[in-house]
Parts: sequence; C-alpha cells; structure tokens
Amino acid sequence: MSTPFLYALVGTGLFALGLFALIIHAHLLRKILALNVMGSGVFMVLVALAKRTGDAPLDAVPHAMVITGIVVAVSATALALTLMLKLNAKSGHAELPDDRRE
Amino acid sequence: MGAVFTEFPWGVILILLPVTGGMLCFLWPQIAKITGLFIVFAVALLVVGLAWQIFDNGVYRHAVGGWGAPLGVDLYADGLSLLMLAITALVGIGISVYSATYFKHEQAVLFWPLWLFLLAALNALFLSADIFNIYVTFELMGLAAVALVALAGSREALGAAMRYLLAALLGSLAYLLGVALLYHGFGTVDIALLAERAEPSPIIWAALGLMGAGLLLKTALFPLHFWLPPAHASAPTPVSALLSALVVKASFYILLRLWLEIFGPLVGGAGVEQLLGLLGAAAILWGSVQALRQTRLKLLIAYSTVAQVGYLFLAFPLVAATGVSAWSAVTYLVLSHALAKAAMFMAAGNLLCFGGHDRIADLDRVVQRLPLTAGAFALAGVSIMGLPPSGGFIGKWLLLEAALMQGRWDLVVVMILGGLLAAGYIFKVLGYAFTQADVSHESKAVPASMEWAALLLAVAAILLGFLAVPVLSLVSIGDPFGIGEVRP
Amino acid sequence: MTLLTWVFDSLLGLSLLWLAWRALACPDLFKAIVLFVAFGLLMALAWVRLAAPDVALAEAAIGAGLTGALLMAALAKLHPTEAHDDFTVPPEKNVTKVWSWQWLPAVAILLVTTGLGYVVLSLPPYAAGLSTEVAANLAISGASNPVTAVLLNFRGYDTLLEIVVLLLALLGVWSLNSASLDRKAAPGIVLDTLARLLTPIFILVAAYLLWVGAHAPGGAFQAGAVLGAAGVLLLLAGWRPRAGLMALPLRLVLVTGPATFVIVAVLTLLMKGQMLEYPPTQAGVLILILETAATVSIGVTLAALFLGGDPRKNNRNKNQT
Repeated sequence: MSTPFLYALVGTGLFALGLFALIIHAHLLRKILALNVMGSGVFMVLVALAKRTGDAPLDAVPHAMVITGIVVAVSATALALTLMLKLNAKSGHAELPDDRRE
Repeated sequence: MGAVFTEFPWGVILILLPVTGGMLCFLWPQIAKITGLFIVFAVALLVVGLAWQIFDNGVYRHAVGGWGAPLGVDLYADGLSLLMLAITALVGIGISVYSATYFKHEQAVLFWPLWLFLLAALNALFLSADIFNIYVTFELMGLAAVALVALAGSREALGAAMRYLLAALLGSLAYLLGVALLYHGFGTVDIALLAERAEPSPIIWAALGLMGAGLLLKTALFPLHFWLPPAHASAPTPVSALLSALVVKASFYILLRLWLEIFGPLVGGAGVEQLLGLLGAAAILWGSVQALRQTRLKLLIAYSTVAQVGYLFLAFPLVAATGVSAWSAVTYLVLSHALAKAAMFMAAGNLLCFGGHDRIADLDRVVQRLPLTAGAFALAGVSIMGLPPSGGFIGKWLLLEAALMQGRWDLVVVMILGGLLAAGYIFKVLGYAFTQADVSHESKAVPASMEWAALLLAVAAILLGFLAVPVLSLVSIGDPFGIGEVRP
Repeated sequence: MTLLTWVFDSLLGLSLLWLAWRALACPDLFKAIVLFVAFGLLMALAWVRLAAPDVALAEAAIGAGLTGALLMAALAKLHPTEAHDDFTVPPEKNVTKVWSWQWLPAVAILLVTTGLGYVVLSLPPYAAGLSTEVAANLAISGASNPVTAVLLNFRGYDTLLEIVVLLLALLGVWSLNSASLDRKAAPGIVLDTLARLLTPIFILVAAYLLWVGAHAPGGAFQAGAVLGAAGVLLLLAGWRPRAGLMALPLRLVLVTGPATFVIVAVLTLLMKGQMLEYPPTQAGVLILILETAATVSIGVTLAALFLGGDPRKNNRNKNQT
C-alpha cells in the first residue's frame, strides 16, 4: 500500500476512534479531546490523498484547507473549554445532564 | 443609473458589511445598538439591490480573487439563494428591532457583534458556491449561535449551548470528511463543477452519507434533533427566534442544494428520498406529540420546530413524480416557517417578560392584557397549523397536492395528523391565554416595539399566503430545482 | 517506496492510532491531555512524511502546542477536588456502566469505517488535484510558496472568514467569562527566566516565519501561533498587561487582521471589480501586509484565548464598585 493510502486509512481510523469516544464518554473534556482527534483524522485524509500527484508538483490546496481547519479547530476548542468551565462552575459537573433519553 | 445598480457587487457587500459591523460593535460597544440596527437595515437594502440585479442579469456569480472555480472560490446567487437572503434580512430586521429593547446594556454589548457575525455567516452561506467555503461559514455560524445561546447564562442555557456546540462540531466534521472525499474524487470543491464531473461511484455514496448525516444533525431532523429543544428553548428570546427561523434553515438549504445539484441526479431513485421522507414523517409526529405534552411555552415552540422541519423532508420522496410543486412547497414552508416561528418565539418572549414565566397553564388572560402579542401568537399559529390564508397554508397545500398526485396516502395521513396536532398545541396555548389562571402573578409592562415586532412578522407570515405567484416565479430564476434533471 | 519507509510509515500510523486511543481512554484526564499533546507532535511528524511542512508547523504550534496549553489550563481550572475524583474513579464506573451498550456504537462505527476505508482505497492511485492550476498561476500570485498562495490569494476569502471565526471564538469566550488582571504570584525563578529569555526569541521566530512564508514553509498562521505561544509563556510567568490597554487598544490589535482583510477586499473590489483580486505587480506587497496584520491578530487572539476571559469586564466592574 502506498503512503497516501496508508495515511488516509489512519485518518479514517482516527475519525472512527474520535467518534466512538465522543459517544461513550460523559466528561466534556474527553468529548472535546475526541472531537479534536476526529478533526485530525479528517485533516489527515485531506492531506494524505493530496500526495497522489506522482512526479507532478504537490497539491497545495488541501494543505491550505487543513491550516484553515486547524485554526477553526483551536477556536472551537477554546470556546468549548470555556463553556465547559462555566457549566462546571454553575452546576458542579463537567458533564451534560443526561436528558437525552427522556 | 441602471448600470450602477446592475453592476454593483451587492452580494460581496452583503458579506463584508455585517462583518465590518460586527467589528465596529466589538470596538465601540457604546454604539453597538445603533450600528447593529443600521447594518441590518442596510443589509435589507442590499438584498433589494441584489434582487434588482438578478432580475436584470439573471444569476449572480462573483469570482472572488478573480480566479474562478476550481482554483478560486465563487459566490453564486439564483432565485433560491435570493429568497433565503431576503427572508434572512426580513426576519433579521424583526429580530433586531425586538432585541434593541430586549437586551439591557451588559448583554446588548455582547449580543450585537455576535448577531452581526451570525448574519454575515448566513449571508456568506447562502451565497457560497464552494463546499469547503461552506464549511467555514458553518463554523462561523455555529460558534456565533452557540455563544448567543450561552448569553442567557442560566445552567440550562449553558448545558444546552454545550450540547449544541458538540452537535454542531460533529456535524461539521462529518461534512468536512465528505468534502475531502469529493475533492479527492473529482478534483474540485465548486458545486457546479462537481455537478459536471461527478459520476455514480462509492465516493458519491460515502460523501452523501457523511455530508448528509452532518447536515441532518445540524438541521435537527428526527432522530438527530436531541440538541434542538433545549438550545432553542433556553436561549434568550431573540436568539431562539433566530435559531428556529434561520439557522436551522441554513443547513437545510445546503442539503437541498447539494441534493439538487450533485447527489440527486446521481443516486435519485435509490431509496434515499424515501428514507428522508420517512424521517420527516417521524419528525412531524414525534415533534408534534412532544410539543403537545410540554408545559413550558418556549419548549412547546421548540418541539414545534422539530415537527415543522419534518415537513421540509416530506418533499424528497414526492419530487420524483411531481417535480416543481414539491420543491415550491419546500420553498414556501421554509419562508413561512421562518416568519411564523420567529413571531411565535417573540410572542412567547413577550409573555415571559410580562409574567416572568412561560408556564402555559399560568398564562393569565393575556389576550385582554397583551392583545398585540396574543394576536401575533394566533396569527403565527394559523401559519404553523397551515390554515388559509397564510404562507404555511400554501406550503402545506402544495405538499398535500403533490402527495395526492402521487397517491402517497401515508404521507397525506401524516400531514393531516401533523396539522391536527399543531392545532392541538396552539389552541392549548390560546385556551390558557383567554382564561384566568388559578394564581395571578405580578406582571411587567412589555415594550411596544417588542409587541409590534412579533405582530408584524406574524402578519408577514399571513401575507405570504397572498404572494404565491411572485414568490414562486422569483424562486425559479436560474432554475435551482433543475426540474428536468432531478427526475431519475 | 522502500521497505524502510514503509515500515516507518506503518509504525507511525499505528503509534498515532494507539496514542489517540490511549488519550481518549486513559482514566486520568491529566495523562490524557499529555498523551493528546504527544499525539499532536506525532501528527506533525506525519505531516512531514506527507510532504506538508506548512501543516506540520501549524499542527506543532497550534494543534499540539496551543490546544494543549488551553486543555491544561482548563483542567487546572476545573474544580480541583471534584476534578480529582473525576480523574480516577468515575471513568472506571462509567466503563462498567456503559459496557452493556458500548458494543452497539462500536459495531456501527466499525462497519462505517470499513466502508470508508474501502471507499478511500477505491480512489485512483494518481490524481493531480488542483496542483497544475496552482502551479500555472503561482508566478502571478505574489508568493512562491504554493500554500501561502492558496491561503492568501487563490482562496483568500476562506482565510478572511477564518480569521473572523478566531475573533468570534474570543468574543464567545469573553461573553462567558471575565479574567483577572491582577499580577499572579511569582511563578518561580525558572519560569520567570525562561519567559524573559524565550519571549524575544519567539518574537524573532515569528517574524522569520512570517517573512519566509512567501517562498518557504511558514506564514501568518505559524507565525501567529508562535507569537501566541510567547504570549502564553508571559501569561504563565505571571505577566499581565496594564489595565489601561485593555479597552480600545487591545481590541484594535485583535481586529487588525480581519479589518485589514476587509479593507483590502473593498479596495480590490473598487480597483479590479472582484473582491480580493490583487494586481499581479502588487500581489506580493498586499500578501505581506495581510499576513503581517493577520500574524499580530492571531498571536494576540490566541494568547487572549489562553487568558480565558474578558480582561475589561473585570476592570469595569471594579470601577463601578
């Protein structure tokens, strides 16, 4: 298996791991970590498959997209962490009240 | 003079102006309210300019950076985008007028920049022709919306905002993985080029699955609606109105676009439409029953949104045979729900402000005491129930007609049941509004602008019922529904 | 591809998956964050292997560095006693409690991932993407580093919106929290000296990355991240800006990046008729201006995100009382 596909598969694996952790963990910090891992997986698929240009120059467009994505991810993470702290200060829990299964 | 109007880059300014406004509000909080109101009215004028341009020149296309797709990002507006921009501007004005008195200084300073950035995100999203650019607008919209929900500051609101943020980010990531697959499959992220290049392949199915799941989560289609009721119910009232009226529609709009342009022609007829229709039907029944069971007014309205979102998806299985009328129905439902639901949330906000609570059973003769607000709720209710003459009636009638034409009696039954249940929960509220509550409460005066904003939006939802011909001819500019191509 | 690189890539891929798994499953949240940062650094290595040095720099600085700092700061601020219980006991409890239904999402996700893997492998082994278009227009883009050309020129509009996203995140954080500007107690001689030594170096590195980004890996985001790291270090060392700077001056600096973008967008609209269409002769200068403004804003915004609240709010409340 060539490098692009190997890393693209690792990327889908990371996406899956993150998704699983996002679903099963209750602690918000863990959920935020899980979303970051999922994001890394998506970024890896984007960049890995961009290496399929053979001898031609690299495809820089996905690279730029991922840099955009990394900045967006850190923005979202910062907001999520602040929200978690605020929720923890108000409710004493860094977990969501489980009102989903009502 | 005419050339100035037809050449002016209305679309670009529609994005740059609210961004600038947001920054101004951030820099000079003292003048945030004035700036905000000015920008929102200016945006409405820009939409009129864009409409003029589209009437004259046909669809609007702007190659940002002068490169053009596939290298650059394109902006694109046809009749459908124009209607979405118009409804955003219209509801935006109502919400802004309402917010100008609703938010007191501390919160107002935070509300205006967030709202203007959200407005910029909505405009950018409706104008985008590039699926990666849409991802960035989603993040802009999502972070602004979450911060706005959290403005309420209560424990419920913070929990709801957190859940909303997690759902929005998960939806975005699934969407982005789909973008990655499409880009690597077909070498472009421009919607029109993708439509040309895409062919049936595993990539298309995987991208549809990922982007579809992400967008359905953002649109809160049953059973992915779990985040919506708490977020829409616990947010500050103008924010509830914004979220239910506009933000949910934004992800639906993208889903519709992608389906019409890329996925529909390739995988149409393979059962995806039936699945969407089934989920839509489930959403109508589940959302309506839940709405009927609520004891708090804002939660009732939020569950009603879950149900009304369901109607939008009933069109998918009906398009194959009836084409234009099903999509016209969707357009109409989106527009009328935006107006009616914004009005309804604002009316609820007025009641909340008046009595200090939104317990339905304790609504104390508000019809006599707040006639404008009660009128707004009733008129909005007429449109939500789908009674004539209202925008909601046109939408639901067109949808019913499409279902009858295709002999889909199951969907007909669901629509009628949904209408009856909607009547149930709306008359439940009105019933309590007419009668005296067991315990009477202290009440506070409601500012007139908040009452009028709700009433005028509700009246607009009714008036929409008389505008079917111009609205439906407007939406056909640029043939967004590509009627010939959608049929499998 | 030689056997050696194949073995290396496979090991790196497996380590990434293993680290991610440990970071997400490890019951101790502190360890989980450390593992996550390690994961970010390995990701940077993977980006290098994928010939994406710009992404590697961004990942190391932002993905691992600043995200790690944000996570650590948040963990420290979680109620210490409750948080400590959380580190050790409840996750275990969770595991036993949820084990009965965990298999369901696990199986579903496994199936979906297998399908995705199949789809990825179904892609053709060679694809040019947009590399030829990028290469053909690189000469007139104003930057010889293709990634910078895409970020600041070809898809500059995305970058405009993205910088607004960053500002918006700060706005959200500020609307939730206020931050104290009281000088923290002396953090100890080591951190203090380190901060004094490293800050000028970080600023130099940021300036270098900004300058070099036009033709080599680097650019506004990496430079901004390094600048942000300098800010984080100063904040950790107890430094706080003067309260007087917290009102308009700080906000002006934060807005510099997006505002410059908007101004350039309007000017190009007036001159060329298309938003962000640069005249080829001035493209280089315009990109440098945009990148400089963006770097300053990104750096200060990231440091402000680390501070975690509105420094002015606190100040204002104090004035009122």
